[in-house]
Amino acid sequence: MVFLNMFNKDKERPTAATADDRLSLVLSYQRSDIDERKLKKFQGRLIELCDEFGYDVVGQVEIRPQSRQRDNTTVLNASIPVRLRDSEDEKRAGS
Amino acid sequence: MKHKSTAITVTSGKGGVGKSTTVASVGLALAQLGRSVCVMDTDIGLRKLDLMLGLENRIVYDLVDVIEGTSKLRQSLVRHKEFDNLALLPAAQTRYKEEVTPAQVKQLVDELREEFEFILIDSPAGIEGGFRNAIAPADRAILVVNPEIPSVRDSDRVIGLLESANLDHIDLVVNRVQPGMVKDGDMLSVERVQNHLAINLLGIVPEDRRIIRSSNTGEPVVLDDKSMAGRAFNNIARRINGEEVPYLELEETSLINRIKRIFHIA
Repeated sequence: MVFLNMFNKDKERPTAATADDRLSLVLSYQRSDIDERKLKKFQGRLIELCDEFGYDVVGQVEIRPQSRQRDNTTVLNASIPVRLRDSEDEKRAGS
Repeated sequence: MKHKSTAITVTSGKGGVGKSTTVASVGLALAQLGRSVCVMDTDIGLRKLDLMLGLENRIVYDLVDVIEGTSKLRQSLVRHKEFDNLALLPAAQTRYKEEVTPAQVKQLVDELREEFEFILIDSPAGIEGGFRNAIAPADRAILVVNPEIPSVRDSDRVIGLLESANLDHIDLVVNRVQPGMVKDGDMLSVERVQNHLAINLLGIVPEDRRIIRSSNTGEPVVLDDKSMAGRAFNNIARRINGEEVPYLELEETSLINRIKRIFHIA
């Protein structure tokens, strides 16, 4: 079993597909001086916000800072997989 | 007659990218062009420039001795064997970087400006005290980068530190480029590195096995006509000297080179 698990083991996804993408990502983090705790807190707030507007977050929330060279700013790209909550679900949640 | 003097700090952040090789090669190339040059090693405790220039046996006094007043500046300068207009101010090998302050290094460079047109300062790796000593007297900086992510990230950080120290004239040298690897997508291209760092490109230096031999023999590659890296460093010196020189064509076009690559003997 252990032997089989060696092949089955979930591999961690690479942070970027190419060296150039990875460099962009690495530099964005460095330039925006974003620390992981701050980012986690931000993720939590986004989930709360989705809930407030009637969306259920159904997958991993991803926030990727990207550096934009033209005006030297950082763009935060958030990917939030959601599903619109049913009105029945909302009623139940309200009661 | 008083000449205009320029102090250039060669830095990188990451170690092992070729700072000392760049200083020795460009320093010697500028001397070959007839300019008076002092190369100054600020890597106290881990000096290298003396070896790169084959001058290790001629050192009597060093930078720390001058700052402490144990020796005069003239006594500490080591003249090159072939080029009298090139001098080395060596770092101390048995002292610590913390024993010298940025203000002291600045004062020392101001003294060197009286005699030399170019003062090339070899910065230690890192961004601590030694780095601050090296950038304090600089009029401009050369950032040596290898086309790999750790080196580019460190350089990006160093650019920020240089700018916050009001050092705005920063040029880029991309060292150890392997065109074959770039072509295969295994190495960042010079263009991508420059785009990310957004500073002026001063030179592109290819990976060259002759560099290893030159650091062992103490003869910088600029003296070797067959060395591509030597030609690249000569071109960098000419650009610093104010000439317009096109970048080297690094594409591997010859059939022999392609065959060598196939059999991994390039």
